[in-house]
Amino acid sequence: MSHSQDKSSMLGQGVFIFVYLAVLTVLEFGIAITFNSTPILVAVALVKAVLVVYYYMHIYKLNADHEGDESSYEYKSGTNRVGLWLFLISDSFVFGGLLAMRINLLGLSHPNLNQYLGLFVTSVLLISSFFMNRGETLMQNGDRKGFITNTIITFIFGLAFLLGVIFVEWPNAIREEITPSSSVAGAAFFMMTGMHAFHVLSGLIFLIIIMRNASRGLYDEKQYPVEAAAVYWHFVDVVWIFFYPALYLVGVIFK
Amino acid sequence: MKTYSVRSGLLLLLVAGVVGYGIGLGLDALAQLLISPAVQLNFSGSVPSVFALLFAVSAFFFGIYGYRGITRGLVWQVAGTVIGALFVTGIRALMGLKGNQLFGNFFFSEPAWVVGELAGVVSFLFGVGVMDDWMKWARGIDTPDHHEDEPGWQKYFSVSLDHKVIGVQYTFTALVLIAVGGTFALIFRTELAHSELQFLTITLRLFNQNGPQLYNTLMSLHGMIMIVSILLGVSGIINYVVPLLVGAHDMAFPRMNAFAYWVAVPAAVLLLMALILGGFDTGWTGYPPLSARAPVGVQMFFWGVFTAGWSSILGALNVIATVLRMRAKGMTAMRLPIFVWASIATSIIALTATQLIGLSFQLVSFQRLFGMGFFDPTKGGNPVLFQHMFWFYSHPAVYVFVLPGLGVISELLPVFVRKPLFGYRWIAMSSLGIALVGFVVWAHHMFASGMNEYLRVPFMYSTMLVAVPTGVKFFSWVATIWGGKIETPTPMLFVLGAIVVFLLGGISGPPNAMVALDLHLTDTYWIVGHFHDTIFGGFVFPFFAAIYYWFPKATGRRMNEFWGRVHFWLMTPSFLILTLTMMFVGLDGMRRRIADYDPMLMGDKVYFNLFNQDFRLIDVSHLIMTIVGYLIAISVLIFFINFFHSLKHGEVATGNIWNSRSPEWQVPSPMPVHNYEVPFEVVGEPYDYGLPGSKFIEFAAASADTTHQKHHS
Repeated sequence: MSHSQDKSSMLGQGVFIFVYLAVLTVLEFGIAITFNSTPILVAVALVKAVLVVYYYMHIYKLNADHEGDESSYEYKSGTNRVGLWLFLISDSFVFGGLLAMRINLLGLSHPNLNQYLGLFVTSVLLISSFFMNRGETLMQNGDRKGFITNTIITFIFGLAFLLGVIFVEWPNAIREEITPSSSVAGAAFFMMTGMHAFHVLSGLIFLIIIMRNASRGLYDEKQYPVEAAAVYWHFVDVVWIFFYPALYLVGVIFK
Repeated sequence: MKTYSVRSGLLLLLVAGVVGYGIGLGLDALAQLLISPAVQLNFSGSVPSVFALLFAVSAFFFGIYGYRGITRGLVWQVAGTVIGALFVTGIRALMGLKGNQLFGNFFFSEPAWVVGELAGVVSFLFGVGVMDDWMKWARGIDTPDHHEDEPGWQKYFSVSLDHKVIGVQYTFTALVLIAVGGTFALIFRTELAHSELQFLTITLRLFNQNGPQLYNTLMSLHGMIMIVSILLGVSGIINYVVPLLVGAHDMAFPRMNAFAYWVAVPAAVLLLMALILGGFDTGWTGYPPLSARAPVGVQMFFWGVFTAGWSSILGALNVIATVLRMRAKGMTAMRLPIFVWASIATSIIALTATQLIGLSFQLVSFQRLFGMGFFDPTKGGNPVLFQHMFWFYSHPAVYVFVLPGLGVISELLPVFVRKPLFGYRWIAMSSLGIALVGFVVWAHHMFASGMNEYLRVPFMYSTMLVAVPTGVKFFSWVATIWGGKIETPTPMLFVLGAIVVFLLGGISGPPNAMVALDLHLTDTYWIVGHFHDTIFGGFVFPFFAAIYYWFPKATGRRMNEFWGRVHFWLMTPSFLILTLTMMFVGLDGMRRRIADYDPMLMGDKVYFNLFNQDFRLIDVSHLIMTIVGYLIAISVLIFFINFFHSLKHGEVATGNIWNSRSPEWQVPSPMPVHNYEVPFEVVGEPYDYGLPGSKFIEFAAASADTTHQKHHS
């Protein structure tokens, strides 16, 4: 784990990336409700995903050297990091498959959903990612209390997203007669949000575990579990970066 | 101290089977009573049988092992299944559903069975104890890196973190499943011996199915059980061998390794439950709309495959991480043993593509449960979409099956011809090439499916491209054999057999790749012959070669050479006759996946009369296939007897009996628990057999004594 950057510049980087992501999200929304260009929406989503993967999930750590010998904690963490990324690659094939299913069935159209609600839940998840990054950065700099505060905020936003999807978004869709069995648009919507929500739920469980163990001082030295939970949390965010335009923005309203 | 034995296991199996049968019979009657006043005891029905199966299997392991390890897992699975199903039934009762909707033909309703089976799988994993360490970690409790295993055979029946134990567990489970899947094949092969239905008749009732339906179920499950068996067999060899070849003390993630094995056990139970719970008639491919209408057995099948998929995915993840992170000093990419390259290639496919078959089956399952219209054209769905998702995994999957086998061929061939492997770099890269090209050929299974026609030609060309890297392997093998001093102990026989059989599979492939020809060949026995050749040549023969070859490493004894030869010389000709006859009848229009066929299909000339039955050419062909099918079964039986007998009574073999350069043979057999007591360093090329003075590995200086260094020429 390199401490090449000092604490304030690392935290500042997190803020900058969040601002970029927020601006891009607003831009995406604006494009969708005005001239709705699918290539631009795809490009914006890709840029957002790259930002999260590089700065929040710090994929470059896979390349770290100077890890000591094979029995050191650093080396084992490196192996765990490889394992986690392999899992994420595998998992992204599930979501890729769901996207392919959606493209095949719906093409350039999306279900008739409440746009403001969609933008709202997207923002909630994005903000949670910001606090997750902030918490991880603080932990790396030895600020356990700051880590726990930020993780609790992350957890609250994550829970709000999950409950928002299940108890607001879904009933709202059903009121619009988009149900799992009504049409393929409904089926795709419930399948994709359901699979994503399932991953959010597992991410929340990981957050509970690291909060509890960190508060008992278990991660003061051995910090990899914090990083793992954070990377997983951001991965769930990356998935939503693609699912949000796919379900809410791209194309015309499905009939 | 209780003594456990196979005898008490079998006794308990019988008792618990009868008890489970009785309970199931009672429950079945109870459910009928709730629906209508007339109760009819269904003695050959699904419900008594499924309870008998679950109780009997658990009791069998209780008898031989006691209430721990696998027994506890199975008992928890049974309990989890019942509790999960009762939970859903309770909710449905609260929702006001009654009678027919609350209880189905299979006692529980379909949603109840699905939730029950998933709860059962999770319960198994907790019961068997594979989650223990992770649960402790989550609670912040540290656990030791390794756990001591029990001595003797007991360690194979509970969770072990040792990759060698897990490798043996995988291999053994694979052999059990091969026996099960082979038995299914013998049953329907016997039915096919003559046209018309002889014993799987319309009037037969078993497991809520009539004869032809049972035929369809057996045929479908033969496919999927063999596929799961192959996946486990592949994992078995990789698990045992790869850490030894790269000089690691274990896999990168030992607990995940154990998890990947143990998740396959409840999956196998689910596949057997699929047979009993009404079966399914879709073939192993499970295409909707047929699978959307099949009995509840298809749900057991879907989720069984889904669960087995996790075994494959997590195992592959582990292999890649191990090879990336835990190689011995000096083992650069171009000095990796060739089997490791093959394992990497296979793992890349298993890690990624497997998710797609899981997803496709999950979508059909949800279509059945919630009416989601993914593949239902009346709701705007697209049945062909399923085939795309399914084959995106299921075509690359055949490379998951054969690449490790081809790796075994390349690994063993230089040992037995005492010559360097020809074209190491090419053969290493050809494995990756096959894996990568394998991702873009899937739609060649769908030329006749009604997909967009413009897709056919690119998929035809990409499919033929597979022949290039595969051809590289053949050239390498031939050039390696050329001019070598060939020794033919049993493993080498199987390697040579694999090359011949795989060649047959290979050259019968391109005709199917041609769109024009495939439209005629598709769904015929030609295809059946083709893929049995590729799978036997690519997996089964190398698998047997690997078992004969590494058996001494695992046990310190070697398998009987004479019976090994009998196994080979009985199986190989029988198998060649089988598949060539399959192709022969296929070319004349014999369709696959049917319980009966037209006796006039290949002409009406009667060749002979047996048991008052006229045998025309098609009957004669099927009779031959059935006979050689039984011969193959006998040869595998010989293998099993040899295997178990040699465990105790085999000739002791602790040294480098094959005179190999590979690191695992430079230390005495059986392998110690944490592999190499002193690490080794790679100092030369792996396959320079016969070159004077060349060395592959050197053990660290401290132990450069006589015990480790047997000179290899």
